[in-house]
Amino acid sequence: MHRTANLFLLLFAVVGAFALYALKYDARRLELRVQAQERAVEKLEGDITVLKAEYAHLARPERIEPMARGLGLAPVTSRQYLRLDAGRGGREESRAPTPR
Amino acid sequence: MRRMILPVAYANSAGARGARRSLLALAFVLLCFAAIATQLVRLALVGGSRTRPTAAEPSLHGWARPDIVDRHGRLMATDLAVHSLYADPQLIQDLDEAVEKITAVLPSLDEAELRKALADKSRRFVWVARGLSPRHAQRIHDLGLPGVAFRTELRRVYPLGALAGHVLGTVNLDNRGLAGIERMLDDNGLVEPVKDVAGAAKPAAVRLSLDIGAQHAVAEELRRALKQFAAVAAAALVLDVRTGEIVVAVSLPEVDPSRPAELLDPAKLDRLIAGTFELGSIYKILTIALALEYGIADLDSIYDVRQPLSAGAHVIKDLYPQGRPLTAREIFLYSSNVGSGMLALQAGGEQQRAFLAKLGLLHAIRTETGPVATPQLPKTWGRTETITIAYGHGLAVAPLQFAAAVAAVVNGGEKLVPTFLARADAPVAAERVLTAATSASMRELMRLGVTHAAGTGRRAEAEGYGVGGKTGTAEIPGRGGYQEKAVISSFLGGFPMESPQYVTLVLLFEPQSTRDTGGRITAGVNAAPVTARIVERIAPILGVLPRLVEARTPPPFDAPHQAQ
Repeated sequence: MHRTANLFLLLFAVVGAFALYALKYDARRLELRVQAQERAVEKLEGDITVLKAEYAHLARPERIEPMARGLGLAPVTSRQYLRLDAGRGGREESRAPTPR
Repeated sequence: MRRMILPVAYANSAGARGARRSLLALAFVLLCFAAIATQLVRLALVGGSRTRPTAAEPSLHGWARPDIVDRHGRLMATDLAVHSLYADPQLIQDLDEAVEKITAVLPSLDEAELRKALADKSRRFVWVARGLSPRHAQRIHDLGLPGVAFRTELRRVYPLGALAGHVLGTVNLDNRGLAGIERMLDDNGLVEPVKDVAGAAKPAAVRLSLDIGAQHAVAEELRRALKQFAAVAAAALVLDVRTGEIVVAVSLPEVDPSRPAELLDPAKLDRLIAGTFELGSIYKILTIALALEYGIADLDSIYDVRQPLSAGAHVIKDLYPQGRPLTAREIFLYSSNVGSGMLALQAGGEQQRAFLAKLGLLHAIRTETGPVATPQLPKTWGRTETITIAYGHGLAVAPLQFAAAVAAVVNGGEKLVPTFLARADAPVAAERVLTAATSASMRELMRLGVTHAAGTGRRAEAEGYGVGGKTGTAEIPGRGGYQEKAVISSFLGGFPMESPQYVTLVLLFEPQSTRDTGGRITAGVNAAPVTARIVERIAPILGVLPRLVEARTPPPFDAPHQAQ
């Protein structure tokens, strides 16, 4: 009986050691992956900051205005507003006024 | 071995004791294994302490600043990671080679200065160039010079260029705020020291009350006006009279926040906040409000303004004499200096002073960008001062402070604290300084200043937006008295006057007469039309709907262009 128990324990120890080693190896591998991903996230966050700044720079009104005017757009004037009921009694078919 | 021991154990005792002892040992060993197994399971499930790489360099790498955004969340300032080049003079092997190669890549560096810095072997750290572009950094890196290395730093960038530069302020090379909102961020502890630039958590963005779109539109119109009237400088302010939020604050010439030296240039002073001026006739808004508030006069009270008013050595005359007595309403419309002086005298200097103090014009105030220039009060507040202050001379205040006082006159009588930060929707604590009735009369009067055929502010009318206001043309004090040809012309307006949402203040410094203005330099021909253009442009941006004129026949839907 002792012999069986000892053998069992020995086996258990060997399996345990192996499992421990595998887990540790796994943990280290995962740790590296986590670090790599954290670095990737940091880099992406940095990239996003740069892109946001670039977007803000490209979308600055100083740059957009001449382009919009070049396309024939102009600031809205008070004459371009209409009452919602303005077209009532007129033709059934209606479309939104196109600002010029 | 067991065979050896067991017989001894059997021999010593009756066998059962030995078996128990060995069972005990077995249980102990099993317990140990169980403990290890439990620990393994626990580690697998919960996870142990994570290993963290420690920074090799313990020194501080910079300051992380929060982003600054406008009221709609559009980016105005942010931090970017940049590469900065430093050198350890002790590790530099060939000084000539290093200096030559570095200046070849970065020609803007001063060669002699760099050589001197790198030759100083007593130092272990010398900045060579900060905030390099990735391309330059790569080229320096490729040189493979010993003793030079990079450090990642945070650098403040302003994607909108000079737009709202006065408000934003600026930072120094170490990313610490020097002026404006940037300074406020440092003073309020919103800037966080960081060791690792890449992993630094960014503080939450700071939301300003400014509207970038409106700010740009106003800056654009002011630039046009500056050119049109050949003025030295110009400034404009749009203040939300319901919350005290400053929606637009432009002072030309502008400053670029990425060039800190520009903020020190006296010609580029923020004329809305950092300077005090005698603003002239726009003060008559306050004089009439004073008379109405204290029941001294109503809008129909008549004053004989035919005779000039003497004040000490000065004689006060009207610019547009009517040759007949005027009502208080007409004193405002014709911008009568004599009439304003008479109203103020009737109220008395003490009451006038108390009224202006109540409106917040006589003591220093602050905004988030720092202190506002302290009001310059007269040394004595006698009869002369009472008269001159009634029409805007003798008391110099920062334009922002004046606009805030007028905001209280038109918004129903509640004084608000002007702010550059977006307010939450929560109701603002306001102090009542005027009765609602006075405010209503003033709104009516200011609207009349624009709609009345004789009003000086006729050209401020922006169709549908109900602009009201008052012109002011103040001579600038120079050597030996006031100069007739150098004036600050201003228009203080509000819109829509039936329930005001915004107060506008437009200032033109030393405008010149042009053919369009018929040789005049008064505010009615320059500041007033500029206000109209500004209101027309910003009202749609700020979501103010025009009041549709009832009389106008609505255009048919299939020919909308005829409406224009």
